[in-house]
Amino acid sequence: MVLTNDVVLPEESELTVEEVNLSTATLRAGSFHLGKYCEKANNEFMLCRIEENDPRKCINEGKVVTACTLEFFRKVKKACLAEFNQYANCIDKSSGDYGLEHCRKTQGVFDKCMLENLNLERPPFGYFCEARVHDTKRPKPPVEEKAVYPDATPALPDDVERKPARFGSRLYWMTE
Amino acid sequence: MAEACQIARKQDLPPPGGYKPIPFKRLPAKQYFSGYTMFAGYAGMTLISIYLYNLTAKRIQKNEIEMRSAKMAIYPMLLAERDREYLKQLRRNRDAEAELMRDVPGWEVGTYYGERVYKMLPPDTLVEPVFHEYYAHSSPSEWFRRAYIKMRS
Repeated sequence: MVLTNDVVLPEESELTVEEVNLSTATLRAGSFHLGKYCEKANNEFMLCRIEENDPRKCINEGKVVTACTLEFFRKVKKACLAEFNQYANCIDKSSGDYGLEHCRKTQGVFDKCMLENLNLERPPFGYFCEARVHDTKRPKPPVEEKAVYPDATPALPDDVERKPARFGSRLYWMTE
Repeated sequence: MAEACQIARKQDLPPPGGYKPIPFKRLPAKQYFSGYTMFAGYAGMTLISIYLYNLTAKRIQKNEIEMRSAKMAIYPMLLAERDREYLKQLRRNRDAEAELMRDVPGWEVGTYYGERVYKMLPPDTLVEPVFHEYYAHSSPSEWFRRAYIKMRS
Protein backbone atom coordinates (compact mmCIF):
# COMPACT_ATOMS: atom_id res chain seq x y z
CA MET A 1 0.00 0.00 0.00
CA VAL A 2 1.09 3.60 -0.36
CA LEU A 3 0.85 4.30 3.38
CA THR A 4 4.22 4.09 5.06
CA ASN A 5 4.91 4.12 8.78
CA ASP A 6 5.75 7.83 8.48
CA VAL A 7 2.14 8.70 7.73
CA VAL A 8 0.49 9.63 10.98
CA LEU A 9 -2.93 8.02 11.17
CA PRO A 10 -5.14 8.76 14.17
CA GLU A 11 -5.78 5.99 16.66
CA GLU A 12 -9.03 4.10 16.50
CA SER A 13 -10.06 5.44 19.92
CA GLU A 14 -9.71 9.02 18.65
CA LEU A 15 -12.03 8.25 15.78
CA THR A 16 -14.73 6.43 17.69
CA VAL A 17 -17.69 8.64 18.50
CA GLU A 18 -21.39 8.04 18.59
CA GLU A 19 -22.56 7.89 14.98
CA VAL A 20 -25.88 8.93 13.54
CA ASN A 21 -27.71 5.66 13.09
CA LEU A 22 -30.61 6.75 10.89
CA SER A 23 -32.07 5.68 7.58
CA THR A 24 -31.85 7.64 4.35
CA ALA A 25 -35.52 8.59 4.42
CA THR A 26 -35.20 9.93 7.95
CA LEU A 27 -32.14 11.97 7.09
CA ARG A 28 -33.81 13.26 3.94
CA ALA A 29 -36.91 14.22 5.88
CA GLY A 30 -34.90 16.21 8.39
CA SER A 31 -32.34 17.53 5.91
CA PHE A 32 -33.52 21.10 5.50
CA HIS A 33 -33.98 21.84 9.19
CA LEU A 34 -30.79 19.94 9.98
CA GLY A 35 -28.80 21.99 7.50
CA LYS A 36 -30.16 25.19 8.99
CA TYR A 37 -29.64 24.08 12.60
CA CYS A 38 -26.04 22.90 12.05
CA GLU A 39 -25.14 25.46 9.42
CA LYS A 40 -22.11 26.82 11.25
CA ALA A 41 -20.60 23.44 12.07
CA ASN A 42 -21.27 22.14 8.57
CA ASN A 43 -19.71 25.17 6.90
CA GLU A 44 -16.68 24.98 9.16
CA PHE A 45 -16.20 21.29 8.39
CA MET A 46 -16.70 21.58 4.65
CA LEU A 47 -14.40 24.59 4.41
CA CYS A 48 -11.70 22.71 6.33
CA ARG A 49 -12.20 19.58 4.28
CA ILE A 50 -11.95 21.37 0.95
CA GLU A 51 -9.12 23.70 1.95
CA GLU A 52 -6.95 21.04 3.54
CA ASN A 53 -7.99 18.16 1.26
CA ASP A 54 -6.96 15.75 3.99
CA PRO A 55 -9.43 13.86 6.21
CA ARG A 56 -6.92 13.68 9.07
CA LYS A 57 -6.90 17.43 9.62
CA CYS A 58 -10.65 17.87 9.95
CA ILE A 59 -11.53 15.13 12.44
CA ASN A 60 -12.47 17.51 15.24
CA GLU A 61 -14.67 19.57 12.94
CA GLY A 62 -16.31 16.34 11.78
CA LYS A 63 -16.97 15.29 15.35
CA VAL A 64 -18.67 18.64 15.96
CA VAL A 65 -20.85 18.03 12.88
CA THR A 66 -21.89 14.58 14.08
CA ALA A 67 -22.60 15.84 17.59
CA CYS A 68 -24.71 18.68 16.22
CA THR A 69 -26.66 16.27 14.02
CA LEU A 70 -27.36 13.99 16.96
CA GLU A 71 -28.45 16.96 19.07
CA PHE A 72 -30.80 18.10 16.32
CA PHE A 73 -32.46 14.73 15.91
CA ARG A 74 -32.80 14.36 19.69
CA LYS A 75 -34.58 17.70 19.82
CA VAL A 76 -36.87 16.66 16.97
CA LYS A 77 -37.62 13.42 18.76
CA LYS A 78 -38.58 15.32 21.87
CA ALA A 79 -40.67 17.99 20.17
CA CYS A 80 -42.19 16.69 16.92
CA LEU A 81 -41.80 12.93 16.86
CA ALA A 82 -45.22 12.05 15.44
CA GLU A 83 -45.13 14.67 12.70
CA PHE A 84 -41.57 13.79 11.79
CA ASN A 85 -42.29 10.07 11.61
CA GLN A 86 -45.30 10.73 9.43
CA TYR A 87 -43.23 12.84 7.06
CA ALA A 88 -40.32 10.38 6.94
CA ASN A 89 -42.71 7.51 6.31
CA CYS A 90 -44.27 9.43 3.43
CA ILE A 91 -40.86 10.14 1.90
CA ASP A 92 -39.83 6.54 2.35
CA LYS A 93 -42.85 5.08 0.61
CA SER A 94 -43.87 7.65 -2.00
CA SER A 95 -41.09 7.31 -4.55
CA GLY A 96 -37.99 5.38 -5.43
CA ASP A 97 -35.58 8.26 -4.90
CA TYR A 98 -36.94 9.65 -1.62
CA GLY A 99 -38.35 12.64 -3.47
CA LEU A 100 -39.66 15.50 -1.41
CA GLU A 101 -42.25 16.68 -3.91
CA HIS A 102 -44.75 13.93 -3.15
CA CYS A 103 -45.10 14.81 0.52
CA ARG A 104 -46.12 18.46 0.70
CA LYS A 105 -49.03 17.90 3.08
CA THR A 106 -47.06 16.02 5.72
CA GLN A 107 -44.19 18.43 5.16
CA GLY A 108 -46.48 21.34 6.00
CA VAL A 109 -47.54 19.67 9.25
CA PHE A 110 -43.92 18.96 10.19
CA ASP A 111 -42.76 22.48 9.29
CA LYS A 112 -45.50 24.01 11.40
CA CYS A 113 -44.53 21.88 14.37
CA MET A 114 -40.83 22.73 13.98
CA LEU A 115 -41.62 26.42 13.75
CA GLU A 116 -43.82 26.37 16.82
CA ASN A 117 -41.72 24.15 19.07
CA LEU A 118 -38.11 24.64 18.01
CA ASN A 119 -38.47 28.03 16.29
CA LEU A 120 -36.77 26.61 13.20
CA GLU A 121 -38.07 27.83 9.89
CA ARG A 122 -37.68 25.73 6.76
CA PRO A 123 -35.15 27.39 4.43
CA PRO A 124 -36.17 28.13 0.82
CA PHE A 125 -35.89 25.22 -1.60
CA GLY A 126 -32.49 26.13 -3.06
CA TYR A 127 -30.90 27.39 0.13
CA PHE A 128 -28.12 24.81 0.37
CA CYS A 129 -27.25 25.09 -3.32
CA GLU A 130 -26.32 28.73 -2.94
CA ALA A 131 -22.75 29.87 -2.50
CA ARG A 132 -22.07 30.90 1.06
CA VAL A 133 -19.45 32.87 2.89
CA HIS A 134 -18.09 31.48 6.11
CA ASP A 135 -15.94 33.31 8.62
CA THR A 136 -13.54 31.01 10.42
CA LYS A 137 -10.75 31.31 12.97
CA ARG A 138 -8.80 28.41 11.50
CA PRO A 139 -5.71 29.71 9.67
CA LYS A 140 -5.65 29.26 5.94
CA PRO A 141 -3.28 26.51 4.78
CA PRO A 142 -0.20 27.84 2.98
CA VAL A 143 -0.44 27.87 -0.78
CA GLU A 144 2.26 25.89 -2.52
CA GLU A 145 4.59 28.27 -4.30
CA LYS A 146 5.35 27.96 -7.94
CA ALA A 147 8.44 25.85 -8.56
CA VAL A 148 11.51 27.67 -9.86
CA TYR A 149 13.93 25.59 -11.89
CA PRO A 150 17.52 26.90 -12.21
CA ASP A 151 18.09 25.21 -15.59
CA ALA A 152 14.90 26.44 -17.21
CA THR A 153 15.15 27.85 -20.74
CA PRO A 154 15.47 31.66 -20.49
CA ALA A 155 12.64 33.65 -22.04
CA LEU A 156 13.21 36.04 -24.97
CA PRO A 157 13.96 39.61 -23.95
CA ASP A 158 11.13 42.11 -24.51
CA ASP A 159 12.98 44.25 -27.06
CA VAL A 160 13.90 41.43 -29.42
CA GLU A 161 12.92 41.91 -33.06
CA ARG A 162 9.70 40.01 -33.85
CA LYS A 163 9.44 39.33 -37.57
CA PRO A 164 6.10 38.45 -39.16
CA ALA A 165 5.56 34.76 -39.79
CA ARG A 166 7.07 33.58 -43.06
CA PHE A 167 4.05 31.61 -44.27
CA GLY A 168 1.31 33.57 -42.51
CA SER A 169 -1.19 32.14 -40.12
CA ARG A 170 -3.07 28.92 -40.72
CA LEU A 171 -6.07 30.73 -39.26
CA TYR A 172 -5.93 33.45 -41.86
CA TRP A 173 -9.68 33.40 -42.49
CA MET A 174 -10.26 34.19 -38.84
CA THR A 175 -7.47 36.65 -38.16
CA GLU A 176 -7.28 38.64 -41.38
CA MET B 1 -80.87 -33.84 -84.61
CA ALA B 2 -81.71 -30.22 -85.33
CA GLU B 3 -85.08 -30.59 -83.57
CA ALA B 4 -83.39 -31.86 -80.43
CA CYS B 5 -81.32 -28.70 -80.00
CA GLN B 6 -84.19 -26.23 -80.15
CA ILE B 7 -83.58 -24.26 -76.87
CA ALA B 8 -85.07 -20.88 -76.28
CA ARG B 9 -82.18 -18.43 -76.51
CA LYS B 10 -82.22 -15.07 -74.77
CA GLN B 11 -79.90 -12.28 -75.76
CA ASP B 12 -78.15 -10.34 -73.01
CA LEU B 13 -79.57 -6.88 -73.33
CA PRO B 14 -79.45 -3.61 -71.29
CA PRO B 15 -82.08 -3.31 -68.57
CA PRO B 16 -85.25 -1.58 -69.54
CA GLY B 17 -84.62 2.16 -69.60
CA GLY B 18 -80.93 1.70 -70.37
CA TYR B 19 -77.82 1.47 -68.21
CA LYS B 20 -77.27 3.94 -65.38
CA PRO B 21 -74.81 6.72 -66.18
CA ILE B 22 -71.22 5.95 -65.16
CA PRO B 23 -70.32 7.97 -61.99
CA PHE B 24 -67.14 9.66 -63.14
CA LYS B 25 -67.58 12.97 -61.28
CA ARG B 26 -64.97 13.78 -58.61
CA LEU B 27 -66.20 13.48 -55.06
CA PRO B 28 -63.62 15.30 -52.90
CA ALA B 29 -63.56 14.62 -49.14
CA LYS B 30 -65.40 17.07 -46.98
CA GLN B 31 -63.16 19.96 -45.93
CA TYR B 32 -63.47 20.84 -42.25
CA PHE B 33 -60.70 23.42 -42.20
CA SER B 34 -59.22 25.70 -44.74
CA GLY B 35 -55.47 25.85 -45.20
CA TYR B 36 -55.05 29.05 -43.25
CA THR B 37 -57.04 27.65 -40.33
CA MET B 38 -54.80 24.58 -40.25
CA PHE B 39 -51.66 26.71 -40.21
CA ALA B 40 -53.15 28.82 -37.44
CA GLY B 41 -54.14 25.69 -35.51
CA TYR B 42 -50.65 24.25 -35.82
CA ALA B 43 -49.11 27.47 -34.58
CA GLY B 44 -51.61 27.75 -31.74
CA MET B 45 -51.13 24.19 -30.57
CA THR B 46 -47.34 24.57 -30.72
CA LEU B 47 -47.49 27.73 -28.65
CA ILE B 48 -49.75 26.15 -26.06
CA SER B 49 -47.52 23.09 -25.81
CA ILE B 50 -44.42 25.23 -25.47
CA TYR B 51 -46.10 27.04 -22.61
CA LEU B 52 -47.08 23.78 -20.91
CA TYR B 53 -43.64 22.31 -21.51
CA ASN B 54 -42.03 25.30 -19.86
CA LEU B 55 -44.33 25.02 -16.87
CA THR B 56 -43.37 21.37 -16.41
CA ALA B 57 -39.69 22.03 -17.02
CA LYS B 58 -39.70 24.72 -14.34
CA ARG B 59 -41.42 22.41 -11.89
CA ILE B 60 -38.93 19.61 -12.59
CA GLN B 61 -35.98 21.95 -12.30
CA LYS B 62 -37.28 23.29 -9.02
CA ASN B 63 -37.68 19.79 -7.66
CA GLU B 64 -34.19 18.85 -8.79
CA ILE B 65 -32.75 21.89 -7.03
CA GLU B 66 -34.68 21.01 -3.92
CA MET B 67 -33.38 17.44 -3.96
CA ARG B 68 -29.83 18.63 -4.52
CA SER B 69 -30.28 21.06 -1.67
CA ALA B 70 -31.48 18.30 0.64
CA LYS B 71 -28.55 16.10 -0.31
CA MET B 72 -26.05 18.91 0.24
CA ALA B 73 -27.54 19.65 3.65
CA ILE B 74 -26.78 16.15 4.94
CA TYR B 75 -23.53 15.73 3.01
CA PRO B 76 -21.19 17.14 5.73
CA MET B 77 -22.57 14.70 8.27
CA LEU B 78 -22.16 11.75 5.90
CA LEU B 79 -18.67 12.89 4.92
CA ALA B 80 -17.57 13.26 8.55
CA GLU B 81 -18.74 9.73 9.29
CA ARG B 82 -17.11 8.40 6.15
CA ASP B 83 -13.80 10.09 6.93
CA ARG B 84 -13.61 8.53 10.35
CA GLU B 85 -14.36 5.06 9.06
CA TYR B 86 -11.95 5.55 6.16
CA LEU B 87 -9.06 6.46 8.46
CA LYS B 88 -9.86 3.51 10.70
CA GLN B 89 -9.76 1.21 7.68
CA LEU B 90 -6.47 2.67 6.49
CA ARG B 91 -4.91 1.86 9.85
CA ARG B 92 -6.36 -1.65 9.70
CA ASN B 93 -4.92 -2.13 6.21
CA ARG B 94 -1.49 -0.95 7.27
CA ASP B 95 -1.50 -3.23 10.31
CA ALA B 96 -2.62 -6.13 8.14
CA GLU B 97 0.23 -5.52 5.74
CA ALA B 98 2.75 -5.35 8.57
CA GLU B 99 1.41 -8.62 9.95
CA LEU B 100 1.42 -10.30 6.53
CA MET B 101 4.97 -9.30 5.62
CA ARG B 102 6.42 -9.78 9.10
CA ASP B 103 8.75 -12.62 8.08
CA VAL B 104 10.11 -11.00 4.93
CA PRO B 105 13.51 -9.50 5.68
CA GLY B 106 14.03 -5.94 4.52
CA TRP B 107 10.34 -5.27 3.94
CA GLU B 108 9.03 -1.91 5.03
CA VAL B 109 5.33 -1.19 5.17
CA GLY B 110 4.07 1.00 2.34
CA THR B 111 7.29 0.69 0.35
CA TYR B 112 8.96 -1.81 -1.94
CA TYR B 113 11.92 -2.92 0.24
CA GLY B 114 12.37 0.66 1.39
CA GLU B 115 11.63 2.34 -1.95
CA ARG B 116 8.70 4.71 -1.64
CA VAL B 117 6.04 5.03 -4.31
CA TYR B 118 5.83 8.82 -4.22
CA LYS B 119 9.37 10.02 -3.70
CA MET B 120 8.81 13.75 -4.15
CA LEU B 121 6.01 14.13 -1.61
CA PRO B 122 6.72 14.92 2.04
CA PRO B 123 6.72 11.71 4.13
CA ASP B 124 3.58 12.61 6.08
CA THR B 125 1.37 13.12 3.00
CA LEU B 126 -1.76 11.01 2.97
CA VAL B 127 -2.05 9.56 -0.52
CA GLU B 128 -5.44 7.94 -0.86
CA PRO B 129 -4.91 4.35 -1.99
CA VAL B 130 -6.65 3.11 -5.12
CA PHE B 131 -9.60 0.74 -4.92
CA HIS B 132 -7.63 -2.51 -5.22
CA GLU B 133 -5.15 -1.49 -2.57
CA TYR B 134 -7.87 -0.36 -0.23
CA TYR B 135 -9.66 -3.71 -0.50
CA ALA B 136 -6.51 -5.84 -0.74
CA HIS B 137 -6.80 -7.34 2.74
CA SER B 138 -10.58 -7.66 2.86
CA SER B 139 -12.57 -10.74 1.99
CA PRO B 140 -13.24 -11.22 -1.74
CA SER B 141 -16.98 -11.10 -1.24
CA GLU B 142 -16.71 -7.59 0.24
CA TRP B 143 -14.45 -6.59 -2.60
CA PHE B 144 -16.89 -7.79 -5.25
CA ARG B 145 -19.87 -6.28 -3.48
CA ARG B 146 -18.21 -2.87 -3.36
CA ALA B 147 -16.93 -3.15 -6.92
CA TYR B 148 -20.46 -3.94 -8.05
CA ILE B 149 -21.80 -0.84 -6.31
CA LYS B 150 -18.98 1.20 -7.78
CA MET B 151 -19.75 -0.02 -11.28
CA ARG B 152 -23.46 0.52 -10.88
CA SER B 153 -23.15 4.05 -9.56
